[in-house]
Amino acid sequence: MAYYDELFKLCGFEEKEIEEERPRIEKTLARLGIVPDDMPSAQSWVKQNHDLSLVGVRKLLGAWLKELIDLVLAKDEGKKVVYFGFPAILGPGLMLSASSDDVLVSAPDMVLDHTMGQIFNKLTPILEAGEANGLPPGHALCSLWQAKIGGIIKGMVPMPDLALASSYFCDMGSKADDLVTALYGVPVAYIDGVMDSRWGEYPRYLPQRVSYLGAQINQALKKSEEVLGIEVAPDAWEKSQIDSRGYINNLLKLLDLMRADPVPISVVELELLEALSGSSTGRGIREGIKAMNILISELEERVKAGKGVTEKGAPRVMMASGHTSDPRVTSLVEDAGLAVPLTMVLAQVGGPKHPPKKTYSTPGETIADHELASGPVHGTDAMIKMFQSGAKVMKLDGFIANYLFNCRPASLTSHTQKEYLERTTGLPVLALETDNFDSRTYSAESLRTKVETFAYMLKKRKEASRN
Amino acid sequence: MNSKSTKNDPKLFAGVDVGAATAKAVIIGDNGILGYAVRSTGHDVKIAADAVMQEALEKSGLDVDVSDLAYIVSTGYARRTLQFAHKPITEIICHAKGANFLFPDCHFIIDMGGQDSKAIEVDDEGNVVNFVMNDKCAAGTGRFLEVMAHVLDVEDIADMGPLALSSRHPCSISSTCTVFAETEVVVLRGAGKDRADLIAGVHRAVSSRVAVMAKALTIRPEAVFTGGVAKNAAVKKFLEEAIGMELHVPEEPQIVGALGAALLAREEATRLPAVETIESELPHR
Repeated sequence: MAYYDELFKLCGFEEKEIEEERPRIEKTLARLGIVPDDMPSAQSWVKQNHDLSLVGVRKLLGAWLKELIDLVLAKDEGKKVVYFGFPAILGPGLMLSASSDDVLVSAPDMVLDHTMGQIFNKLTPILEAGEANGLPPGHALCSLWQAKIGGIIKGMVPMPDLALASSYFCDMGSKADDLVTALYGVPVAYIDGVMDSRWGEYPRYLPQRVSYLGAQINQALKKSEEVLGIEVAPDAWEKSQIDSRGYINNLLKLLDLMRADPVPISVVELELLEALSGSSTGRGIREGIKAMNILISELEERVKAGKGVTEKGAPRVMMASGHTSDPRVTSLVEDAGLAVPLTMVLAQVGGPKHPPKKTYSTPGETIADHELASGPVHGTDAMIKMFQSGAKVMKLDGFIANYLFNCRPASLTSHTQKEYLERTTGLPVLALETDNFDSRTYSAESLRTKVETFAYMLKKRKEASRN
Repeated sequence: MNSKSTKNDPKLFAGVDVGAATAKAVIIGDNGILGYAVRSTGHDVKIAADAVMQEALEKSGLDVDVSDLAYIVSTGYARRTLQFAHKPITEIICHAKGANFLFPDCHFIIDMGGQDSKAIEVDDEGNVVNFVMNDKCAAGTGRFLEVMAHVLDVEDIADMGPLALSSRHPCSISSTCTVFAETEVVVLRGAGKDRADLIAGVHRAVSSRVAVMAKALTIRPEAVFTGGVAKNAAVKKFLEEAIGMELHVPEEPQIVGALGAALLAREEATRLPAVETIESELPHR
């Protein structure tokens, strides 16, 4: 038994899996600088932050570790590596991944946050390496980019062969990818997105937006073929959708389970599975879907037994986004006595939408049609409509519109969300400045007074409405 | 009201507010405030809390100690660390409750403490309905004034307000950052600007910063100004100009949070049915 076995078992690895993968695990840990002395704190960190009584949660952590191993060793194992930023238009990455077993497409920043952050609690040196290499703090880019550059600089994750940059929700990613080009000569395939629809357009979307975005994606796929020396398979989209359908079906089941009072699972664990779908196009997401299958069965049992993670009758809030590397920040909301049945991803899945038209012939247009039908790419109006719809379905008592101060789209929209949602739903909204990727800037303690005050407000309102 | 009380008096309640700069405690009975105390927090919040509670009890004239109080609510930064308190409640909730008690028509509160500032909207019963609080920045707080007092060689912080009010031509000072504003003041001082004008500029800057935050909410009369900075008449004046509304300042604005905590202690004690229930709900006891 090696020094890391216990931690990997906590993270859902079976003994047989560890044995089969041992050489790869050891090579990965060595490259990451993980040593035996790191294990006690990592185990304690994982136990402290996650509900390990749920096998599905352990398997989700394991799915992140498997994605990490594949990522770290990709070049050693002869693969071409493509990075995309989070959140991204996933379609092109999924198609590249489905077209060749020799290409790994991943979001290294999110993988490092969820593993070096949430599992090993050693993210800070990586962020500092990013800060020392072209991404100083306070320059309008979130720390995901510091994690990506820092991970490359420290030799933890490989230098990519190609960066896929899309101005999808985050329109700063292409600026960070410019740095990768400038410093290391990595080619970038840019996808000039069509982020903002007109207020009131959603859930409809105009055909010219599909055409424009589709053309951009086609161009990026062409560049990818040239750089990677592969051809996008004719059935790549269909193949990639097999995994996506499994994931979406599970999210729909989860959405139904989260209607229960008390809510059966912490938002910390929801973040684990939601982020995985936007970060992995390979083994991580496939293992994540298996973990979700287990988790959903476990949660069904909890709901039947009336068990949950917060008190029955606790005020119910939607939280826009969770913390990727330090779950204590997200846990704070539940510690204050609030139940979180809804997140942005679940609101998106359950929100109003038109089905994709499915009448387009090129891969780019097919992806664009799919993305525009799914929601968030439409901007603030779409998000608000999803939240409004979610409030009814989940019987919410309030919203926490948390945002990153250094994320242009999120920080701007949170205040619009507050104004508009308070007016249209009559529910209180806490616009909470935080940093979802870096708790050096905002620790849980620095946010406690605001969150506890909001929780107290909601409890009083709920008591008053009962009387 | 300083009548002698018996031990284990079920009608005595306390609030203790341990903030960044000062610790405050208030003892109340059925008929209002019995005693209060304010002291510097110093380096050890537990020592400060014990001492300020003891002092408040002594000033109340009651022959009781902390263990005789029926219920204690703690607030402020150290609220979760005080072993003698039954329940921690945030200072935003406590300030709202305290201000509503002192000014029953209060619907809006601006609280400026040593390290943070808040604007709070309240309903007729003193319940918080909306609030904003500064984010990781000292520019709208008492600390801003302390830093400037040091730069401008004002020994007693209490002299800052009167000096500012004596100015005829307040300087224009940046309100976005304490450190940058300090640099600005140093440069202006070097350029020979009048000291009172600089101090007035500093006051207008800090007031402007808080007013911008407050305007994110609906400001309805009566508006009440609490916290240690509320003792500063110049900040009050500039804030009133900035928000366009009169601010009512309690006689002792620093104890409003502790008073609210004591009032909430009384509410909590009366709504809990039995001692067994209380004990089971007390993580800090």
